[in-house]
Amino acid sequence: MPRRSIGSILRAIFLVMLVALAVMLTQRWVRASPAQETARITRTATLPSPQAGSDLAGRFVSHADHIQPGMVSPQVGLVLRNPHEGDAAAVATGARLFIAYNCIDCHGADGTGAMGPSLADGRWHFGGTSSEIFESIYQGRPEGMPAWGTLISADQIWMLVSYLRSLEAGRNVTTENFTGKTVERSGH
Amino acid sequence: MSHFRARLDSGVVLVTAMLMCACSRTDDRGPAGAAGAAGVAASTVSGTRISAPRTGPAGEWAHPAGDYSNSRFSELDQISAANAKNLHAAWTFSTGVLRGHEGQPLVIANTMYLVTPYPNVAYALDLTQEGAPLKWKARPPNSQTAVGLACCDVVNRGAAFADGKIFYNLLDGHTVAIDAASGALLWQTRMGSLARGETMTMAPIVVKGRVIVGSSGGEMGVRGWIAALDATSGREVWRAYNVGPDTDIKVGARFKPFYGRADTSRNQGATSWPGNTWQQGGATVWGWLSYDPELNLVYHGTSNPGPWNGKQRPGDNKWSAAIIARDADTGEMVWAFQPTPHDVWDYDAVNENILVDLPIRGRTRKALVHFDRNGFAYTMDRASGEVLVAKPFVPMNWSTGVDLATGRPALVADKMPEEGKKKSFICPSLEGGKNQQPAAFSPATGLFYVPTNNLCMDFEARQVAYIPGTPYIGGSAPEVAGPGGYRGEFIAWDATTGRKVWGIREPYPVWGGALATKGDVVFYGTLDGWFKAANARTGELLWKFKVGSGVVGNPITYLGPDGKQYIAVYAGIGGDMGLLIAGDVASNLPFDVRDRGSTLPDLARWTSWGGMLFVFAL
Repeated sequence: MPRRSIGSILRAIFLVMLVALAVMLTQRWVRASPAQETARITRTATLPSPQAGSDLAGRFVSHADHIQPGMVSPQVGLVLRNPHEGDAAAVATGARLFIAYNCIDCHGADGTGAMGPSLADGRWHFGGTSSEIFESIYQGRPEGMPAWGTLISADQIWMLVSYLRSLEAGRNVTTENFTGKTVERSGH
Repeated sequence: MSHFRARLDSGVVLVTAMLMCACSRTDDRGPAGAAGAAGVAASTVSGTRISAPRTGPAGEWAHPAGDYSNSRFSELDQISAANAKNLHAAWTFSTGVLRGHEGQPLVIANTMYLVTPYPNVAYALDLTQEGAPLKWKARPPNSQTAVGLACCDVVNRGAAFADGKIFYNLLDGHTVAIDAASGALLWQTRMGSLARGETMTMAPIVVKGRVIVGSSGGEMGVRGWIAALDATSGREVWRAYNVGPDTDIKVGARFKPFYGRADTSRNQGATSWPGNTWQQGGATVWGWLSYDPELNLVYHGTSNPGPWNGKQRPGDNKWSAAIIARDADTGEMVWAFQPTPHDVWDYDAVNENILVDLPIRGRTRKALVHFDRNGFAYTMDRASGEVLVAKPFVPMNWSTGVDLATGRPALVADKMPEEGKKKSFICPSLEGGKNQQPAAFSPATGLFYVPTNNLCMDFEARQVAYIPGTPYIGGSAPEVAGPGGYRGEFIAWDATTGRKVWGIREPYPVWGGALATKGDVVFYGTLDGWFKAANARTGELLWKFKVGSGVVGNPITYLGPDGKQYIAVYAGIGGDMGLLIAGDVASNLPFDVRDRGSTLPDLARWTSWGGMLFVFAL
């Protein structure tokens, strides 16, 4: 079965490339202390392998099932660090990505919620640390949150995390003082 | 525009009245309206008829809209304009589910059937016993993924009944059949693909042993369809898309649209779109279906085209935002009409088509009456698709009128959304002059009773990329109250002339449906949680009751086993208009105390989440 062996070789090359890519990206976002150096290498093997994500439109169409959660195993116990922490430029890029990837139409302008939950009220279903938000975007969540980890680069996910973390959380007010603010609608 | 200005000029008194009272009655009766009112002594208005009155017992409610014609009229008359003030709550039932309770229960053979929002639990309540205990409860498997893919809350608009079976749609794109006696799941057929963003929310109808259903997901770049399933087996009999090549949309020799019939070119459902953009063209079927047994035609609307940004899809975008007549047996398209060709305002045409015979300009016509999102009320010939009357039923300014020779609206350039440029105060807003909340018709008065919205929007279109399973919208449209400051009105409408007869102004959009009865009482609920009865002839408020949550559902009426007339309605705010008020939105919790982003922020003082059936009697 020559076809099968060619396929196996291609798969092996692809796997090596993915691991290499993962290592490259990992080194950008996991700032492990020297003492954790060994552990980092171990973790690298289990880290996700994000794609570089250039020709996105074409790639999305081939991933029509990406809205199913669980396509990627959760990274139990793994704490990831945002390489763009504190970088205002990443916040601005993240805000643009929030629109470009249609996040805005589920989660509302400024992340205040629409079809999907608010991301700007300081309340998080799956945790609000940078690492937890990364994981939610990367692997998806059960009520329709797509698993973006197979579609866009980890770097872009981190910039989205930067943007979301920059949003001002809601504050408690008494009902009679609800004023609301005009926001975008998703419409029927 | 002229209509809108005229209303503003002549409406000073009304606006003043609004400032004094949040809910006031208006009387727009002109000379013609007054003449119509003179004939009130007759039990039915001459020449006026529901096309297909219900065939079962008058005391049942066996179709989502009461009958195939979508009249939402009942022959019951124990509750009358004289005694409606004595109505009181008879019993209630919590569905155990929050979120928007659109739709309505059914009542067949002393059993009431309810379907909840996601997870779409069905209940059968035994009306013969005190307190209406459960006969059974059913919960078919229903994917949680669907919750985040539904554009406008996780609503369900109700079940259909035929041959001892209850049929309804699951949010995750399945149609189910349940044994009405036992609650056993008889079949479950997958009709839509969640991965593409397809969900299902509409109420089916059953025609000649076939369950007719349609898709939701017009905001997700799906390709809308309507389909028929065999009621016994659940097997798909036919499926017609609404955009794409002729074979897919079932356009053939029988297709004779009244307008544009000179254009016999093939595949207009594809060629009126650039390239293959029709594949993400929307045109879903999430609204109400009607059926005319004599013509054997099923009538349905289609949703907005995708995306909202019209620059990405120049052309008429057939057959999005359209009213379509199809052969009930084959699904063949017989005629189609776009109230809003190349819609760029999110003006879906899915609102119900009410089938009645009406005297128009001295001739009884087989009519179809449709209150479109775009703000025009259309009275059409339901055999041919000809528009007979088209008049604004709410304040509007995007069009100056409909040309009856072409069926097309005259556009106002200043109110045409553009990419990267905000166009201000377009009326009606994307929620439409009316949305899912169905109107009712009374042959006793000859009038239509229409729950309406009075909202306007600022619209700015933007480029959007198609990503399967995510929204495909490309625009933002914040909303404000329309002219006059009120945000909704319950109106009585004369479809023969296109004239409002009376109206009850409401502080919020009237997002619940209407019920008309032979007792000359009409019923509707409001977002702020009032359930109201009004005199069908005058609009006088007869009675109201504060229910547990805002009403987005549709009242029904039935005869109990005790021979008494009952009125039933869901309370449970939600749906698109409730989404930002009481949903899992700006606050993630229904009982939260955080300020919400909303066009109706003050509504939070009146209501919170609910999920209750209320039943009233004298």
